[in-house]
Amino acid sequence: MTWLLAIPLLPALAFVLLAPLPRATRNAVRWLPAVAMAGSLAGALVAFAKVMAAGGGEKPIYQTSVAIATIGDRALEVGIQLDAVAAIMLLVVTVVGMCVQVYSLGYMHRDERVGWYFAVLSLFSAAMLGLVLASDFLLLYMCWEVMGLCSYLLIGFWHQQEAPRLASIKAFLTTRVGDVGFMIALAIMYASVGSFGFEAVLHGYSWTPALATTVALLLLFGAMGKSAQVPLHVWLPDAMAGPTPASALIHAATMVAAGVYLVARALPIFEVSQVALTATLAVGTATALLGGLLACVQHDIKKVLAYSTISQLGYMFIALGTGSAVAGMFHLMTHAFFKSLLFLGAGVIIHAVHTQDMREMGGLRKLLPWTTAAFTAGTLALAGVFPFSGFWSKDEILVSLLKTGHPVVFVLALFAAFLTAFYMTRLWIRVFAGPAQKPDAREAHTEMIVPMMLLGAITLVIGFSSPFFARFLGETGGWPDIRMALGSSAVAASGIVAGWWVFGKKAVDTEALKARFPQFYGMFDNKFYFDRTYEFIFVHGYNRLSDALWSFDAKVIDGAVNGFGSTWSAVAGGSWTFDARVIDGAVNGLGSGVRWIGARVRRLQVGRVQTYQRLVMAAVIVLVLWIAWKGA
Amino acid sequence: MPYLLTTIVFLPLAAVVICAMLPKHMAGAAKWVAAGVMAVDLALVGRLIAVFDVKGGVQAVVDIPWVPQIAIRYHLGVDGISLAMLGLSALLGLIAVVASWKVDKAPGTYFAMLMLLQVGMNGVFVALDLVLFYVFWELVLVPMYFLIAMWGGERRQYASLKFFLYTLAGSVFMLVGIIALYLYSGPNNTFDIAELVRASAAGSFDGVQGWLFLAFFLGFAVKVPIWPLHTWLPDAHVEAPTAASVLLAGVLLKMGTYGFIRIALPILPVAARTWAPWIAALAVISIVYGAAVAFAQTDLKKLIAYSSVSHMGFVMLGIASGTAAGLDGAVAVMVSHGLVTGLLFLMVGMVYERTHTRQIAELSGLSSAVPAIGGILAFASFASLGLPGLSGFVGEFLSLLGSWQSALIPHWMTVVAAVGVLLAAAYMLWMVQRVVLGEASEKVARISDITVREVAYVLPLIVLTLVVGVYWNSLLRFVDPAVQGIVTILARVV
Repeated sequence: MTWLLAIPLLPALAFVLLAPLPRATRNAVRWLPAVAMAGSLAGALVAFAKVMAAGGGEKPIYQTSVAIATIGDRALEVGIQLDAVAAIMLLVVTVVGMCVQVYSLGYMHRDERVGWYFAVLSLFSAAMLGLVLASDFLLLYMCWEVMGLCSYLLIGFWHQQEAPRLASIKAFLTTRVGDVGFMIALAIMYASVGSFGFEAVLHGYSWTPALATTVALLLLFGAMGKSAQVPLHVWLPDAMAGPTPASALIHAATMVAAGVYLVARALPIFEVSQVALTATLAVGTATALLGGLLACVQHDIKKVLAYSTISQLGYMFIALGTGSAVAGMFHLMTHAFFKSLLFLGAGVIIHAVHTQDMREMGGLRKLLPWTTAAFTAGTLALAGVFPFSGFWSKDEILVSLLKTGHPVVFVLALFAAFLTAFYMTRLWIRVFAGPAQKPDAREAHTEMIVPMMLLGAITLVIGFSSPFFARFLGETGGWPDIRMALGSSAVAASGIVAGWWVFGKKAVDTEALKARFPQFYGMFDNKFYFDRTYEFIFVHGYNRLSDALWSFDAKVIDGAVNGFGSTWSAVAGGSWTFDARVIDGAVNGLGSGVRWIGARVRRLQVGRVQTYQRLVMAAVIVLVLWIAWKGA
Repeated sequence: MPYLLTTIVFLPLAAVVICAMLPKHMAGAAKWVAAGVMAVDLALVGRLIAVFDVKGGVQAVVDIPWVPQIAIRYHLGVDGISLAMLGLSALLGLIAVVASWKVDKAPGTYFAMLMLLQVGMNGVFVALDLVLFYVFWELVLVPMYFLIAMWGGERRQYASLKFFLYTLAGSVFMLVGIIALYLYSGPNNTFDIAELVRASAAGSFDGVQGWLFLAFFLGFAVKVPIWPLHTWLPDAHVEAPTAASVLLAGVLLKMGTYGFIRIALPILPVAARTWAPWIAALAVISIVYGAAVAFAQTDLKKLIAYSSVSHMGFVMLGIASGTAAGLDGAVAVMVSHGLVTGLLFLMVGMVYERTHTRQIAELSGLSSAVPAIGGILAFASFASLGLPGLSGFVGEFLSLLGSWQSALIPHWMTVVAAVGVLLAAAYMLWMVQRVVLGEASEKVARISDITVREVAYVLPLIVLTLVVGVYWNSLLRFVDPAVQGIVTILARVV
């Protein structure tokens, strides 16, 4: 099954072909990545069928690797494997990727660097597909970083403007903070296991609890950067400065879920350490709540969705914290489909009304009927309404919480679910309900509508795969508990009703509330002060440190060097200032022959260097004598 | 091929003679002579690589008496580490010539100096006799001094003299070390590196290893440069012409770290182990300090110079670890830094040629005005900040693995070094942000994009950066067998 390699390599090839082309040619063949993606999609379908035929389960049906480096008798291998998790992830990435590619053909067609956009999108797809196929932490990490590069390039795609420029560097550096942890985890694996392979690291080595805790926490830290978990979440809302379809693929469906995927893969190490599991749970809970709360106060439609993504990723970490990779992966999958759908919908809306501010929208349901239908499906899924997919996956996480005895987190997770329904209702009402503020808004082209319809259809039906999903991954699975289903539906309903009550019926004057509780509102307005704190401590702090070290370098270290030099020259009686005439004379003279060089150089160096040489020889003699004496 | 190595080393000398003797009206031919000679030289190195047996130890050996009275020998040979460095030296040498195509101030002398430098650089990496090594080592100083002093920028006199005296001061200590090794090496006194390794194993240097190591350390540390002996580097880089910067960063710095690997570690392994934690500490300081100071720079060349201090810290960290992964990583960083920093200096040279400035504040929006130059500069920046898939990652990653694995280095130092990877992203991306991205500034707006000649000399670096980054063994299969020998020596003295 070496052909599996084609799944990531096709989009990689598309990038390699496109990247060096001149801009106009590149723009002309912008469809090439979509073709490559179609090939990957076909491959993913076949791969899925093969795993299905083999009955799924944890065991890979195919594995191959190659030594990327040989150190003594130890080979560092990178390889790919196909198992149930990989098969599902392949499908998710290629389906969403394909939808985004096709949608982008419509969305980006007027941009003057559209070819570059598709090239980077293709490289991203290659890296993400490589990541899910990887059979070791090393290849996973390498793909992980390449995705970071693509994310950086796409966030900063419109780099002539300042906001995307700043957002891109912030995203890269914040995620790299996490990557430092990931890298140290790799170093520990190398030193203790001697391999990065999943099999060797996860099943072939008996981790001591202390070491497992260290490695797991470091991996978690890496995952927190990539998956925008508190306190490393600050880059994701800013990342919305990139093109919206790129946000749909990278910053909603796939790359940000890579952290979840990493922890799910490494879960056997986490399970050795209660500390690591608890930490995962705590991080997830904090993130789910923070994202939910901040989503409620955003006016930018993409920021609402971004905070919602943060919150949902937190939900996935909660699942992982209970030790349930299945629940985490299931929510990852459903979320990938409905969140990319919501982003694609948001893209249509932004194009139609030329603003991202929801206060300037309204009444779009009549003007954008198809988009409204698709977006509504996404909204209901996110809010957790039966039978849309989010309902099923959220339920599984809640069940897992109760089963593992985390009542407090359970209540907090329910509250987060309530918030989700609440802010999505707020968004929906602001955008679609009421009188139309921009009556000239037009529905999108077919190539943008069709991908949304497809994602909408998946969102409607994929939840029913819940029991099969678990079995496919080799766990026991069944239909959700009816009491839980009713309970969570009640929470979702109350969120929707509350949202309608506040924003639809306008029973509460939010402006009056703001005026009444300015401190409370200020906290939300400042995003709980994370950005401000980091700005102060890290950005300004590092700037000051850097400047201080620079002047230390120039004044103290180099000052000492120069001071030493001038003292010595005073002792030697020579002058350190160079005579420009001598040098220029030398330049002119050198042309006339080799003999001249010697003479001129001698003239140049006479005095200073002779004295210097005598000193050097004296120093040599003294030192040799001294060392001989020391040795004797 | 008994003369292959000798030819590789001394072939550029022919170009020195021809270029220096060209009459004034024919000085324009000097670049063709230099380019032709370097092309042949590189082809010969290619031939050497092709016939090199990775498991065959030291090869292409020439070993004849030179000054028999005091046992100095003309002894050349290559193992995998030497070969990697020799390849880097010859490649960057040719590139430096092509990148200097427009030098019109005394071109005959200029290319003669460049070729003389090449003899020294090639020789250092293949010499197996310490006196011979020292001769090549010092030979490098003179042409580099003149390249900076005559073809440099405004403060060239200060910078070149500082470079010359600083490195010379360092090598004096090395000379003392070499003489001392000779004196201690037993009844049959020798300067031969392999003999000295045997003498060391037999206990000839027991008790004095610490002091001898210190002498070599000072000589090599200045060249690397290790903090706090680094301040000659930014000045030299800023004032040097592009080609000299490329060779200075790409090859000359590696002479220091190569010295550690070839001489200090195998001959003085006990001291190397004893001093390892201190060297690692200085390495980590170099990594973080270099990165932090690079962040504050306003001149592109100075930024790259300080980034070199940071990157070379990773080499020293790998060397200090004494592990196979660490030493493999050290050599990989040496090669990668040569490729990537060479590329960075070439790109800055292109920008400077067109805009006459290196001030970051005056440059912006390269990718808007000249997408190819901007794109390649961004590529080099990502290679430099250690993006996996490009060569920069390989060495730094292995160096961190080795450092964590090493019993000689406390874990917290490895952690601090890993933070250096983050800081590298900070100064590099902050540079890209200001120089490559955004709207084109006044000085950038109307310049022309890359020419065919320029593509020709950066393309090999780009390709190699990718090849080494994707398939690490393309480099490590040469390096690792040689590294194993050193690791064995280090392990023996525990």
